[in-house]
Amino acid sequence: MSTQIPILETTRLVLRGPEPDDYPDFKATFTSYRARFMGGPLNAYEAWMLYAAEIGHWQIRGYGMWMIHDKVSGDTLGMAGGWKPAKWPEAEIAWVIWPDRGGKGYALEATHRVRGHFYDKLGWETAVSYIDPKNLDSIRLAERLGAVKDHDAGTIDGNHAVYRHPAPDELTGSQLAHGIEMEISHYADPLFKPKGWAID
Amino acid sequence: MTLIQTPVLETERLILRGPKASDADTFMGFYATERSQFTGGPMTPRQAWNFFGTEIGHWAIHGFGMFVVTRKGSDAALGIVGHWYPWGWPEKEVGWVLFDAASEGQGIAFEAAQACIDHAWQVLNWPTIVSYIAHGNDASVALAKRLGATLDEHAQQPKPETPGYVYRHPRPEGLA
Repeated sequence: MSTQIPILETTRLVLRGPEPDDYPDFKATFTSYRARFMGGPLNAYEAWMLYAAEIGHWQIRGYGMWMIHDKVSGDTLGMAGGWKPAKWPEAEIAWVIWPDRGGKGYALEATHRVRGHFYDKLGWETAVSYIDPKNLDSIRLAERLGAVKDHDAGTIDGNHAVYRHPAPDELTGSQLAHGIEMEISHYADPLFKPKGWAID
Repeated sequence: MTLIQTPVLETERLILRGPKASDADTFMGFYATERSQFTGGPMTPRQAWNFFGTEIGHWAIHGFGMFVVTRKGSDAALGIVGHWYPWGWPEKEVGWVLFDAASEGQGIAFEAAQACIDHAWQVLNWPTIVSYIAHGNDASVALAKRLGATLDEHAQQPKPETPGYVYRHPRPEGLA
């Protein structure tokens, strides 16, 4: 099977295109309560159809959702990437972390990386994330990524909050970018000490 | 972006090729109509688009899938015919859809399905072939019979909660 999905790396993670072998991990999450903000829980048949659609999205749009792997173990941890089915107002940056892998900053690290790819390599000038208002973990992550609620943006079906990501130039050498990178570094190395002096 | 590599099947009048992004609108158009009622529709455009992605991902996962049917000399998508095996299905299926009633009555689905049945026996080496047909889909039952398939009342259903007809295609004599 030929594939031209780019492989992205971060300190702790490798992001690769979704492979048939990764399906059991996807199915476990999307048939679980974890998927309640992502159209689930799905039955096994629906989960397979959606997984195939994740792969098809790459073919149709030229981008899609990467599978997040632990760089050391190779285990899958979740998915992050771009998503734009028919009739969506604009392209979304989306993420999901398997329920037993949460709380380690993987979504932040992976999503920051894919956003950089979309901005730097694909020339995106903006992006949104459509988030269920009850999905507080994802709203918090959107905010940590510097996204802010956009009350004027078009919605999918009126049931989602739209968070708009900072534009590419707001992520270049900015305090926001440094803060995101510092938080990622802290997850990667809890004893991490930033260079420089504390202001207080 | 070429994620999938699909063979091309050629018949007397038709070219069967893999699905591509430019077919999505035609596919969505079909699934917006009542005509899709026996094949999972009607669907919203977003559901249909996702389903079109599934058609492509099916190729990536299995290495086989549904072909887009075109007439020789035109790339216009007339329908999808081919090999279908989503998660949990008891057996592998040869299925067919013509997007537009205007394409019916010319033997197009028959010609495409026959090529896919031959391909399944001879190239994919399937042990069995069935066609799952919804109750009420008389046109597809007629086509299954013309292809030589017979109703198998004892076959396992892919979706037991909504049972349909299972037509079994006879294994050609002399096939290894």
